[in-house]
Amino acid sequence: MKHKIRFTINGEVKEIEVEPNKTLLKMLREDLDLIGAKEGCGTGECGACTVLVDNEPVNSCLMLAVEADGKEILTIEGLSDGINLDSIQESFLKHNAIQCGYCTPGMVMSAKALLSRNPRPTEEDVKEALAGNLCRCTGYQRIINAVLDVAKKGGKK
Amino acid sequence: MKEFEYLKPDSIKETISILSQFGEKAQIFNGGTDLIVEMRDKIIQPEYLVDIKAIPQLNRITYNKQDGLNIGATATLNEISNSKVVQTHYPILVKACKTVGSYQVRNRATLVGNICNASPAADTAPPLLVLEVKVNIIGPTGEKIVPINQFFTGVKKNILKKGEIVTSITIPPIKDKWTGVYLKQGRKKEVDLATVGVAVVCIRDEVRIALGAVAPVPVRAFKTEELLKGKTMDESLLEKAGKSTLTEVSPISDVRSSQEYREEIIKVLVRRAILQAKGGHIL
Repeated sequence: MKHKIRFTINGEVKEIEVEPNKTLLKMLREDLDLIGAKEGCGTGECGACTVLVDNEPVNSCLMLAVEADGKEILTIEGLSDGINLDSIQESFLKHNAIQCGYCTPGMVMSAKALLSRNPRPTEEDVKEALAGNLCRCTGYQRIINAVLDVAKKGGKK
Repeated sequence: MKEFEYLKPDSIKETISILSQFGEKAQIFNGGTDLIVEMRDKIIQPEYLVDIKAIPQLNRITYNKQDGLNIGATATLNEISNSKVVQTHYPILVKACKTVGSYQVRNRATLVGNICNASPAADTAPPLLVLEVKVNIIGPTGEKIVPINQFFTGVKKNILKKGEIVTSITIPPIKDKWTGVYLKQGRKKEVDLATVGVAVVCIRDEVRIALGAVAPVPVRAFKTEELLKGKTMDESLLEKAGKSTLTEVSPISDVRSSQEYREEIIKVLVRRAILQAKGGHIL
């Protein structure tokens, strides 16, 4: 039986019907055409599917779509206003913190959550916050530098 | 993932009635970080998924000197490790919670889910064993309290019967000054299951030791504790502690480690944990 759910996605209120056995990730990608979040492992180890639910990062592959009812969801698509990038996205570009880009939306969302709960993280804090986001191009140092740089500038570009 | 009916009761009473009615066909859904993977892999195929996260009283973390710390079933690992009372009174638990999965996983995974899942490698189990936690259970026949060392019955098996759910765990107050340590050996520092986990609590002349990932269930090393009780810790006693602990566990070889490596690591971690808990240096 489908469930009717109502939630906020990137600032917009949506109401849709979903099958209970659909993950949040599948709903984002297949029903809402938000394909920034990726499926890597599907088991909560790689973090490529990371999105924010009520400002907290979660693996959207490990959450059911029905659970999104009443929640506020932010995906990578919601960061930029369509013209200007978020300061974290700018910093990733500046530091060349991207190679193939598959992990990037998840990395950016984890970084976004970190900086909103802790605006002045240490390098250790960044490593801990990003430990659940794997990058197979192994660009970790540049990613860490990008996040620390945003923190240093107080979120400004 | 196979189709199922999603139910979201808002009371414990309703939950028990659903679980009693559907029996084996129903599955409690808490943080879901283990469950969704198992459903995806079709290891578990429930017909009814019972989401308990809408039950308000299951989300509480409360503390007072008389009763100790009570952690509700749906409190996530991040909620627990961010809790001031837990940080102040039970740093060992903060450490254990933080070693589970990633930050994202810990935003969803719960401590009660970690023990109900009953993995031999559950990171929160060894600390809960040495803290002599009580598991609070409600079922169709009423409430009961089970000591944590009787809760695990086998690999991925626990004592819960049809219709029963764990509502919370209680860490009883410890009157005397105490110290506790949880050490985890994994293949990598973050986001890995334990190869061996060791928790030690020292209270006056008593040393409590518990281990994960070394037997079908997380275990207390009672015989070794007896051996150490009241004695002054020196080099030879530390060595005896490691050897004695080995006689109380049954490590196996698996994808994470060989049996031989586990046996070595058990000795190293038991020694290191006792030393750290006693305030000594890592030798």
